Amino acid sequence: MKFNRRQTLAGLTALLGTAAMPRLSFAQDAGVLRIGALNPITGAGAPYGSGMQKMILQAAKLVNDAGGAGGRTLEVFAEDTQTQPQAAVLAAKKLIEVNKVNAILGTWSSGISLAVMPLTNEAGIPLFNTSGAPALSVAPANEKHLGYRFQATNDRFGRAFAKIAEKEGFKRPATMAFNNASGIGNTEGFRKAWEANGGEVVASVVYEPSQPSYRAELQKVLDAKPDVIIMGSYLADTTVILREWYQTGEENKWIIPAWAANPKLAEALGPDVVEGIIAVDSISNEGSPAFAAYDAAYQEALGQPGLSNVYAAMTWDMVIVLALAMEAAGPGADIAAITAKLHEVAGPDGTKVSTFAEGKEALKSGPINYEGASSVLDFDEFGDVTPDFSASVFTGGEAKRNYIVKI
Amino acid sequence: MEAYLIAIGIFAGIYLLLALGLNLQFGMTGLINFGHVGFFCIGAYTSALLATNGVPVALSLAAGGFAAMLAAWPLGVVSIRLREDYFAIASLGFSEIVRLVVTSEGWLTKGVQGIPGIPRIFPGVSSQMQSMLMFGLVMVLCLLAILAMRRIVKSPFGRMIEAIRDNEEAVRSLGKEPAGFKMQVLLLGSLLAGVAGGLYAHYIGYISPDQFIPFITFQIWMAIIMGGVGRISGTVAGVIILMTFLEGSRFLRDVAPFIPEVAMASIRLGVIGLALMLFTIYRPQGLMGDYTKR
Repeated sequence: MKFNRRQTLAGLTALLGTAAMPRLSFAQDAGVLRIGALNPITGAGAPYGSGMQKMILQAAKLVNDAGGAGGRTLEVFAEDTQTQPQAAVLAAKKLIEVNKVNAILGTWSSGISLAVMPLTNEAGIPLFNTSGAPALSVAPANEKHLGYRFQATNDRFGRAFAKIAEKEGFKRPATMAFNNASGIGNTEGFRKAWEANGGEVVASVVYEPSQPSYRAELQKVLDAKPDVIIMGSYLADTTVILREWYQTGEENKWIIPAWAANPKLAEALGPDVVEGIIAVDSISNEGSPAFAAYDAAYQEALGQPGLSNVYAAMTWDMVIVLALAMEAAGPGADIAAITAKLHEVAGPDGTKVSTFAEGKEALKSGPINYEGASSVLDFDEFGDVTPDFSASVFTGGEAKRNYIVKI
Repeated sequence: MEAYLIAIGIFAGIYLLLALGLNLQFGMTGLINFGHVGFFCIGAYTSALLATNGVPVALSLAAGGFAAMLAAWPLGVVSIRLREDYFAIASLGFSEIVRLVVTSEGWLTKGVQGIPGIPRIFPGVSSQMQSMLMFGLVMVLCLLAILAMRRIVKSPFGRMIEAIRDNEEAVRSLGKEPAGFKMQVLLLGSLLAGVAGGLYAHYIGYISPDQFIPFITFQIWMAIIMGGVGRISGTVAGVIILMTFLEGSRFLRDVAPFIPEVAMASIRLGVIGLALMLFTIYRPQGLMGDYTKR
């Protein structure tokens, strides 16, 4: 097949034409509240992104099936952040300007949330995120108090690490952190909490991602003879580090966030290596009816247990909390009035509810407290949540929950 | 909708400044610069840091451009005499070094936390006005850059760098030293990249090291290759094509509503990739490419 110049040009013009002439729908339907699902479908967040987006769609469907909220149904517009700030900014612009969404839900990774938040602030709409960076709580990022965070801050994770290390009786902790905001946030949060208690961190190392070996960094930490190493890490690097650590024959313990110390890690390394590792996680509110509802939806949509994606539990809660706030604000309320109700419906006072339908019913007779799938969801004045944390210990290749820490 | 188009326009303008610099370096001089994003990063950080510490934005933008130019100088001194593909490696390494320095020197750059709250260029106007003014500024700067490029191409300097691109040995045999000219080209391109970086930082309002990955460099490369290497009109066309592919594909679901929402993201990237490949297959010299020579 051979194209001549004219044909190629004509073809290209047609292609560009179709791309430039989408069917744009400007009309705001009074019976519909538009929300944007802005999730990391591709890029570094890809393992979580699809699940997060699917749960937003599922939860919105559930709300609509229950007759909508505040007399309106939800319409979801989905976009991909590509886990890249530039792409996320343009995607958010499109959601805000073209789709006229009233809220953006589910940004992952602090770099993305921090880049998108100025846009949502400008538009006066809330941004629900799942990022850990402390900067997201305060001005300038959150100057308008429109940022709501469904994930524990890195600081809180650090505090949980310190509590657990204290409880386990460790004396000489060292830290290793993946060089990004979240990794360092975890270990620095630990250091702050630990030193506030009069402890001392014997060594800290920050390492660059995607190295074939971390022997040098590991050796530097091990030279300080720690009795436990606190990690701010991800799965890939943790796998390499633990393998190399096992080869050294050292006997220190590990405290690792559960997104890194998960069943896949045990699978990759074998039960001997991971034996005794303490995995720390913010507890999805497992055992709660909200979690059961989320879990069922997640199983159905992705064929995996809901526990495998804590972020999807958060995006699930985002939709339900928003819908409950819409219901509480009443028909025709604008987004500012709805946002003002978020604190109220999420608790801590009022009748405990765990699904949208339940909450809608209970709202008729008084204030409610939505206890979510991801945590009990009580926002503080910064729009942050404080979940409980669990410490699980690997025995025989499986993580068994030992105890729960409240911070 | 207008505000979205303006946002695209601003990004396109920033990319155009980057692409014009790269086109000067590669398209006209044959300098394979794989580290363009490094200068972009330096410009962004310099301008952001100065502006957050109270320096007027007009000054900080200019300082960003000069800082990028200044950073290009040592790179040029040590590597401009390398044969073209070796320079590509050196420059790629340079941009990664810049990113790592920015990541590690937390006392200055706040490291991986990034710099939030970078002031806007036009203080005290509504956000809509802000975007309009920003768009205007970017367009004016692009226009100035294009005019400058046109002058360069027509000048003796322009003929000289094209001669360097076409046959460096011949230039040398005529008694001219290519290294000096290449250095000037490198500095000029970096200046543009630095200014683009400053504009980017003030527009986005938040920068962190993970925004300055080599991927940006290659996006710019894609633009100038699609538009037509060595042509100013080609650079402009290339940036427009790139942005059309990137942003137009977001509306794929409006014309093909049967695609599930979540699958859309992956399909979109696939479509962009396919479009780029088809483009280079059927239009190897770019849209505005020079078809008179092979």
